[in-house]
Amino acid sequence: MTGCERVNRMFARQDQDRVPRCDAYWPETIARWQREGLQGDHNDALRLLGADFQPLCWSWPAPFHGQRTVLTQDAETETVRDAWGGVARFWKGRSGTPEHISFGCDTREVWDKTYRPAMLAAPIQIDTRLAALRFQDGRRLGKWTHLSGVEGFEALRRLIGDEACLIAMIEDPDWVRDIVRVHTDIVLRTFEAVLAEGAQPDGLWIYGDMAYNHATMCSPAMYRDLVWPDHKRMADWAHTRGMKVIYHTDGCVSGVLDLYVEAGFDCFQPIEAKAGMDIRKFAPTHGSRLAMFGNIDVMKMGTNDLDLIEEEIRTKFAAGMATRGYAYHSDHSVPPQVSWATYKAIISFVERYGRY
Amino acid sequence: MPLLTDLTAAVAAGKRTDTVRITQELIAAGTGPGIIVEQGLVPGMAIVGEQFKRNEIFVPEMLVAARAMKEALKLLEPLLAAAGIKPKYTVIVGTVQGDLHDIGKNLISMMWRGAGFAVVDLGTNVSPEKYLAAALEHKAHIVGLSALLTTTMPAMKETVRILRAAGLTNTKIMIGGAPITQAFADDIGADGYAADAGTAVDVAKKLVGETA
Repeated sequence: MTGCERVNRMFARQDQDRVPRCDAYWPETIARWQREGLQGDHNDALRLLGADFQPLCWSWPAPFHGQRTVLTQDAETETVRDAWGGVARFWKGRSGTPEHISFGCDTREVWDKTYRPAMLAAPIQIDTRLAALRFQDGRRLGKWTHLSGVEGFEALRRLIGDEACLIAMIEDPDWVRDIVRVHTDIVLRTFEAVLAEGAQPDGLWIYGDMAYNHATMCSPAMYRDLVWPDHKRMADWAHTRGMKVIYHTDGCVSGVLDLYVEAGFDCFQPIEAKAGMDIRKFAPTHGSRLAMFGNIDVMKMGTNDLDLIEEEIRTKFAAGMATRGYAYHSDHSVPPQVSWATYKAIISFVERYGRY
Repeated sequence: MPLLTDLTAAVAAGKRTDTVRITQELIAAGTGPGIIVEQGLVPGMAIVGEQFKRNEIFVPEMLVAARAMKEALKLLEPLLAAAGIKPKYTVIVGTVQGDLHDIGKNLISMMWRGAGFAVVDLGTNVSPEKYLAAALEHKAHIVGLSALLTTTMPAMKETVRILRAAGLTNTKIMIGGAPITQAFADDIGADGYAADAGTAVDVAKKLVGETA
C-alpha cells in the first residue's frame, strides 16, 4: 500500500495496513540527533519514520513580497522590517517565534489605502513550477501530495497584530472580514496557479493557530461570524477539485470541533495534548466525521521515559484507530529534549501499535 | 452622580467611553482616587477574570476591558500619586531567555494591573540576571516567568535556580505559558503556576497572602 493509498483510505475510513505517519522537528532537535547518530537531516528522520506526506508549496502571501530590511542587529538577534511591513526581532541561526515590535498595517485606513491594494496587486509568491515538480516527485514516491498555506486568522494576526486584530473583532468586524476574505482570495489564486502547472494534489493542508492552551482566542460565535466563512470557502474550493482538507491549529479547540466539521474540514492536526486535547475523548465523539492526526504528547516524549511514551502511543493509537481515521504526528514539533535513541524507540512503538 | 457599581459594569463590558466618563464624574464629585480604583475598576476586572476562566468571554473581550481600565487609570494616576497611594504589591514579569513571544505575558500583565498590582514588564528574552536585578531593585513580591516554547523551558528552570540561590525570601515565583504545567512548576521549584490570565490573578493573590 502506498502512502497516498493509505492516507486516502484513512479519509474514507477504510482498512489500511498501518496508520499514516508524519512529524515535525525543531532544528535544534535535528542538530542533537545528528550528534547522536542520525545520518542526514529532517528529511532522513521522516524517511526513517516512514512519512506518507509530500508538501508541494507554502503559501502565505505578503503585501510587499521580497521586502526584508535589517534595521538593527546584535549577537543573537536581528530586527527586520519584513514583507508584511511590520518590524519583528528574529533569532539568528536558531528557531523560535519572533517578537513582533510593530505592525505596518495598524489602522483600517492604512489597510484600505495601502495594504489591501498591495495584497491584491502582488504577484504569485511561490514557485508554481517547482510545486508541480514536487507533485511529480510525490506521485513517483507514492506519497500523499498536498498544497499548504495559511488561513485567514493567522494572516490577520501577522498583518495587524494580535491585540489590534482581537479588538477589531469586536469594534470593526467588517475590517476583519475583509482582511480574511482578501487573504483567502489570494491563497486560492496561488493554489490555482499550481494546478495550472499540471499538479493534481490529493489535499490541502491549511495552517492557522486560532487557540492557546485555555481556549480559542475568540469565542466560537465570533469565529463562526468572522473567519469560518472563509475556512468553508477554502474547504469547498478543495472539495470541488477532489482534494481533502487538513486543518492545523495548536491549542484547545474543543469548543469549535463541530464548526470544523461544518466547514468541511476532513482532518484536524496536531491536536495539542498540553492544551488538554485528547483523542481518547474526541475520537469517539468526532472521529467518524473528522479524522484525527497527531496528539502524541511532546512533553512525554521529552521525558525520554520509554514506558510513559509507549503507554501514550498505545492508548491514543487504540482510540484513533478504532475510527480508521487516525494518522501519527507528535502534538506539535519534537523538541530537542528528545534523544535520538528515544525517537528511534518512538518509531518502533508507532510501528508496533499502528498496524491494523 | 454615577455609582461605583456603574463604573464596575462599564469596565467589565469594555465600554471605554463610559468608563472614562464615569471616572471623570466620580472625580468631580469628590470620590477619592483610591476608592475609584479599589471599589470601581478592580471589581470590574475581577468580573472579567472570572468570566474568562469560565469561557464566557474570550481574549477580545478581555482586551477591551483592560483598555477601558487603562484609560481610566490615566486620569487617576496623577491623583493617586498626589495622595501618596501606591499599589500594595509589585510583580516583575517577562518572557524567559531564548523566547521572544509576548502575548501571554502581556495578557497576564493586563490582568495583574487590573487587580491592582504594580507591574514591571521586562519584555522578552529576559536573562536570569535581569530578573534578579529587577526583583531586588523593585522589592518584588512576585516574579512572573513566561515561556511559549518547549525549547525555552530549561531557561525557566535556570531562572528559578538563580532566583532561589539569591535567597529572595520574600519574593514568590510564578510561571506560565503554553507548555507549562503544575507538574513542571513543582519540578523546578516555582511557587505558583497559572494556566491562564484569569487564574493568574487568583494565584498571585494567594501567593501574597490575599484571598483570591
